[in-house]
Amino acid sequence: MRNRFHRIVRFLGSMRFAIVLLAVLAAACAAASTLTQGQSYAWYAQRYGERTAAFIAALDLDDAFHSPWFIVLSAFLCLDLLLCNLVRVKALIRRTRMFAEPGHLLSLTPECSAWVRQPEKAFPHLNMGIPAQSETDGKSMLSAVRGRAGLWGAWVCHLGILLLILFFSLGQTLEKQYTVYGVLGQSMAVGSTGYIATIDDFRIDKSESGFVEQYTTRFTLRDANGATTAQSAQVSVNHPARLRGMKFFQNSTGWAAKASVTKNGEPLQSQWLCAGEYLEVSDKPGLTVLLSAVYPDYIFVPGAGPKSLSDSPVNPAYLYSVYYNGQLVGMNVLMQSEELTVDEYAVSFSEPSPYTLLQVKQNSFSLFALLGGLITAVGLLLALYVQPVRVWAVSGQDGLWRLFGENRKGGKLFAEAFAKAAEKAQISTPEDGKPNAED
Amino acid sequence: MLKIENTLFTAVMAVYFASMLLYFCFIAFKKDGFARFAVIAQAAGLALHTLALICRGIGAGRLPLTNQYEFATSFAWGLSLVSLVFILRFRFKALGAFAAPVTFLVIGYAAMQSKEVRELMPALRSGWLGLHVSTAIIAYGSFGVCFVLSLIFLLRARVQQGSFLDQHLPDREKLDAISYRASALGLLFLTFTILSGAIWAERAWGSYWSWDPKETWSLVTWIVYAAYLHLRLRRGWQGRAAAVFAVIGFICVMFTYIGVNTLLPGVHSYA
Ligand code: HEM
Repeated sequence: MRNRFHRIVRFLGSMRFAIVLLAVLAAACAAASTLTQGQSYAWYAQRYGERTAAFIAALDLDDAFHSPWFIVLSAFLCLDLLLCNLVRVKALIRRTRMFAEPGHLLSLTPECSAWVRQPEKAFPHLNMGIPAQSETDGKSMLSAVRGRAGLWGAWVCHLGILLLILFFSLGQTLEKQYTVYGVLGQSMAVGSTGYIATIDDFRIDKSESGFVEQYTTRFTLRDANGATTAQSAQVSVNHPARLRGMKFFQNSTGWAAKASVTKNGEPLQSQWLCAGEYLEVSDKPGLTVLLSAVYPDYIFVPGAGPKSLSDSPVNPAYLYSVYYNGQLVGMNVLMQSEELTVDEYAVSFSEPSPYTLLQVKQNSFSLFALLGGLITAVGLLLALYVQPVRVWAVSGQDGLWRLFGENRKGGKLFAEAFAKAAEKAQISTPEDGKPNAED
Repeated sequence: MLKIENTLFTAVMAVYFASMLLYFCFIAFKKDGFARFAVIAQAAGLALHTLALICRGIGAGRLPLTNQYEFATSFAWGLSLVSLVFILRFRFKALGAFAAPVTFLVIGYAAMQSKEVRELMPALRSGWLGLHVSTAIIAYGSFGVCFVLSLIFLLRARVQQGSFLDQHLPDREKLDAISYRASALGLLFLTFTILSGAIWAERAWGSYWSWDPKETWSLVTWIVYAAYLHLRLRRGWQGRAAAVFAVIGFICVMFTYIGVNTLLPGVHSYA
C-alpha cells in the first residue's frame, strides 16, 4: 500500500508526467486560441452550426482558459511541480554540500579525464580560479568548483512557476473590480467599498496633428461617512495609481451630456448621462430615456448615418431612445436646442462633455504572482547560464596527476575546453609519457 | 532622418545579400577566404543596420519597435546579431551559410511592410514596450539560430565524410551542445519578454494576462521550449529528437510572430 502510494507520488512528481502535461497544455492553448472566446451560444451556432455550438458549450470551449478541464490540467501541473521539488530537495541539498568535498570527488568517474604533469595549469584555462589543496586517502588533491548555484536553477524555476500560477489564480478568483466614470466635478461610489471618487480634472493631450497622446484624470477619494481624510491622485494610460488598497487605471473615455426634464414647463430633474446610460423620469415610473450617442460636431451622412466631424462641441446632437414599461416607443436625433416631449414631460440635452472611465481593482495577490515570475526568470538564469563545473586532480605515480572535469550541462563544448586545458597542463601517461587525453 | 534610414535600409539589404552570396561561395568553391569576407560583410551589414535603426528611432522620435515594419527589421537585426555572435564564439563560419538566408528572408519581409511612421496610441507610450520588444528580438533571433542549427544537425548525417563541408561543420554532439546554448538564450529572453509584456499590460490595460491570442501563442512557444529542455535531459532524447522539437518550436515562434497577426484577432494587431 505504502509502496503504491510512493509510486503514485513519484509519477505525479516526475518529469515524464510533466512533459506530457506541458504537451497537452500547449496543444490546448493553441487550439483554444483559434476559437473566438466569450461569445454566446447563438453566436457559435450561427457561425459553426448547432452541433458544433453544442460541442463548444459542452466542453466550455467558449471560455476555455477558465474551464474546469483547463483548471484541472493547471492543478496537475502545480501538483507535479510541488511534488517534484519536494521529492528532490533533500538530494539537492546533499549534492550542494558534497559538490566540492574532496572525499566525494574521489569517488566520481566523470567523462572528462587525462593524465597530466602540471595540473595547476589546467585550472585557469577552465576559468576555475586557484584550486584548493587537500590530502585524502593518502593522495594529494587539487580541486576547484564554480557555478554551484546552478544546481538550484531548475528547482528555483519550478518554485517560481508554482508561485506564479497559484498567486495568479488566487488573484483572479478573489479580485474585486469596479468602474468609476464621470465628467468634471461628478462624484460616484466606488462599488461597495464605501468610498466615493470625485473627478477633479480630465485632460486629453493631443499632438499637433490632433492624434490623442494621453488621457489624464485627477480625482479625489473620500470615505462615504467621512471617517478618513480625502486623498487625491492622478492616473493616465500606463500610469495607474494606488489609493487605499485599490489600484486605479485610466481605462477609456466617451461623451456625456446633461439631461434635463421639465414637467409642464417646470424643472423636474437634471443629471449627467454618459452615452449608453438611461434616465429614469422620477415622476413617471416606467418612462426611461436612453442616451445612445453624443455627436459634438453633428452631420448626417446619407447611407452612413449620423457622425461627428470633430471632437469640438460646435454642433452637438444626441441620439436617444424612449422606452415605456420596457417597450421602445421612439428613437431619434435631438439637436442642442430641441426638446423631446412625452405627454407633459420634456427632455433636453446640453453641455456635451467628455467623460473619463477609471477601472478600479482590489487584488492583493498580483504582486506575489509577479514575484513568482521574477523567481522563474532567476531560476532559468541559474539553470541555463550558471553551469556547475568541478575540476580536480589526484596525484598518481611518477609525479603524474590524473585530471578530472565535470560539467553536465556543457556537453561536447566542455569536453573540448577540457581537452585544451589538459594540453596546457602537459598531457602525459604513466607508462611512456605519450600524450593521452580521454574525453 | 527617415530618408537616411531608407537609404541605409536598402544598403543593409544589399550588404546582407552580398554576405549571403559570399557564404554560398565559401561552400560552393570550398575556399576559406570567402567565409572571412562573408563574416566581415555580415558584421558591416549589422553595423549599418544598427545605424539604420538609430536613424529610424531619431526620425520617429521613439524606439523603432512599434509596427510590423519596425519589428520585422529589428527581428532581422536580432537574427544577424545572434548568428554573428555564435559564428565568432564557436568559430563556426559555415553557420552563416544557413543563417544568412533566414536573415535575408526576414529583412525581405520587412521591406514589404509599410514604412510610414504613425503616431502611437497612449497605451504604446511606455518604457516597458521597449524592454518587451527588445527582449523579444533577442529571443526570436536566438530561436532562429537554434532552428538553423537544428536543421544543420538533421542534415549533418548526409554530409559526405571528409568533404569540405564535413570539415567545416562541427560534429553532431557539438551541434547539439551549441543549439542547446541558442535555445537557452531564447527561452531566457522569451521569459523576459512575457514578464515585461505582462507588467506593461497591467499598467496599460489593468490586467497582467488576458489570453489574447498573441499572449497565448507566446506561452505555447515558451511551453514548447520548456518541454524541449526537459526532453533533452532524458536519455535518447538528445540529438535528433531534440532537433526536431526545436524546429517545431521555431514554427511556433513564426506563428506567434506572423500567423497570429494575420489569422487571429487581438490587441497585438498593431505589431
Ligand atoms: C510541471 C512540472 C515540471 C516538472 C515535474 C519538472 C521537472 C524537472 C526535472 C526533474 C528537471 C531536472 C532537474 C535537474 O536536472 O536538476 C527539470 C529541469 C528543468 N526544468 Fe522542469 N519540470 C516541470 C516544469 C517546468 C517548466 C514549466 C519549466 C519552464 C521553463 C521548467 C524549467 C526547467 C529548466 C530550465 C530545467 C533545467 C534544464 C536544463 O538544465 O537543461 N520546468 N525539470
